[in-house]
Amino acid sequence: MYRKQVRRRRAVLALLVLGSFALLTLTYGQSSNGFQRGVSTIFSPLQTVFDRALKPARDLVDWFDETFEARGENERLQAQLQEEREMAIAGQVALQENAQFRKLLEFDRGPALASSAFEPLTARVISRSPIIWHSTVTIDVGSDDGVRVEDPVISGDGLVGRISSVEGGAAQVMLLTDADSGISAKVLPEGVQGVVRPEIGDPEDLVLDFIDSTKRVSRGQEVVTSGWRAEVVASQFPQGLPIGEVTRAPVEEQEASQQVHLRPYADLRDLDLVQVLIGGSR
Amino acid sequence: MIFTPKIVARIVAIALLGVMLQLSFFSRVDLFQVSPDILPALVVVLGLLGGSMTGAVAGFWIGLLVDCLLVEALGASSLVLLGTGYLAGLFRERFEIHSSLVPALLCMGLTLFAELGYAAVQLLLGVDSHVSLLLIRDMLLKSVYAFFLGWAIYMVVRRILRPALVEEPDSPRPAPSVLGAR
Repeated sequence: MYRKQVRRRRAVLALLVLGSFALLTLTYGQSSNGFQRGVSTIFSPLQTVFDRALKPARDLVDWFDETFEARGENERLQAQLQEEREMAIAGQVALQENAQFRKLLEFDRGPALASSAFEPLTARVISRSPIIWHSTVTIDVGSDDGVRVEDPVISGDGLVGRISSVEGGAAQVMLLTDADSGISAKVLPEGVQGVVRPEIGDPEDLVLDFIDSTKRVSRGQEVVTSGWRAEVVASQFPQGLPIGEVTRAPVEEQEASQQVHLRPYADLRDLDLVQVLIGGSR
Repeated sequence: MIFTPKIVARIVAIALLGVMLQLSFFSRVDLFQVSPDILPALVVVLGLLGGSMTGAVAGFWIGLLVDCLLVEALGASSLVLLGTGYLAGLFRERFEIHSSLVPALLCMGLTLFAELGYAAVQLLLGVDSHVSLLLIRDMLLKSVYAFFLGWAIYMVVRRILRPALVEEPDSPRPAPSVLGAR
């Protein structure tokens, strides 16, 4: 009797393990399938209800966390303020120069959205992946609202990510920090091109990879979407969406690894309201 | 654990509530820049109360639901969580739980196991991006959170499933009496 039980247990375990491997093999690399879309459609209203109901509790926990962080951050901000003052003066000079260059080159670089066919659609984040390797959030708008896969997603601070899959009333956003994320970008004002990729596990650090090692990038420079297309890597974003600021750019790393580090403008750990840029010409 | 339709329904409800709470609440709060992950702890608790098969089956289905809702490759979370649940159940079948600290410690240890499992699966599938050392901090902190949350989850789930637990009758039984004894 006992042996029979043990055999049955082992059979169930083997079946579950094989089932997991089979599912993994069949679905890896696909954006979504009918089964996932069905489950997601059923659960997205429930997720919306949970999201609304639990917001006060989330805010309370965030308040505690921010209070702890603020104590340590105060001193750092004092030093940063002094540095920012100096940079602001330098920035004013750079702006004047920039305006002159624009006139000279007749290069129209207005606000990124004004010159593109995209329209912003406001959405609320209703859930987030608990797995460190998958930096994704679910939002409460979907194909019924005109959202499509690859649509850019922004917050008030800058680029957040792109739509990785979409259902009727919900969509998944692959954040900049997701292991599979890669966004073509350029450094202002020189225009050094590269691909922004995540540093998995550190939501405040991104890597601008594959930059031209003969050109120099320095700390404090702004990184924006480049909006170009190539055979292998294509930017689905309008040109000029702010991504982040270069925080570390050692010369040896630029020469050896062709990369610099940047901090995203958007707070990717605390997203509540975002905008999907829909209707782009693709 | 004695399985009746009512108990199975309770386990399903616990699993659904756990997944919803994880995706809508725990994943979206940061404590020291790390979000707690209650799902491995929940699977551990189900394994501890129901045995290795309950743990494995619950882990598989909870993982599948998470992968469906997050539109990730199906099977990755199932594989990790079924292993986690099975190990918890195996512990229950091999050892007696004498201290109330044991479930919490198991939740902590097996959450670390689950996080390492996610990393292993991800590395097997291939990672092109850079990996930060902060990942280790995230894994360790998630395990520490699981110690505290796991203890609370164990208390709540044990209370909900109490009618099905073989070792814990609803009311304390009187001591057996022997005929003729004084």
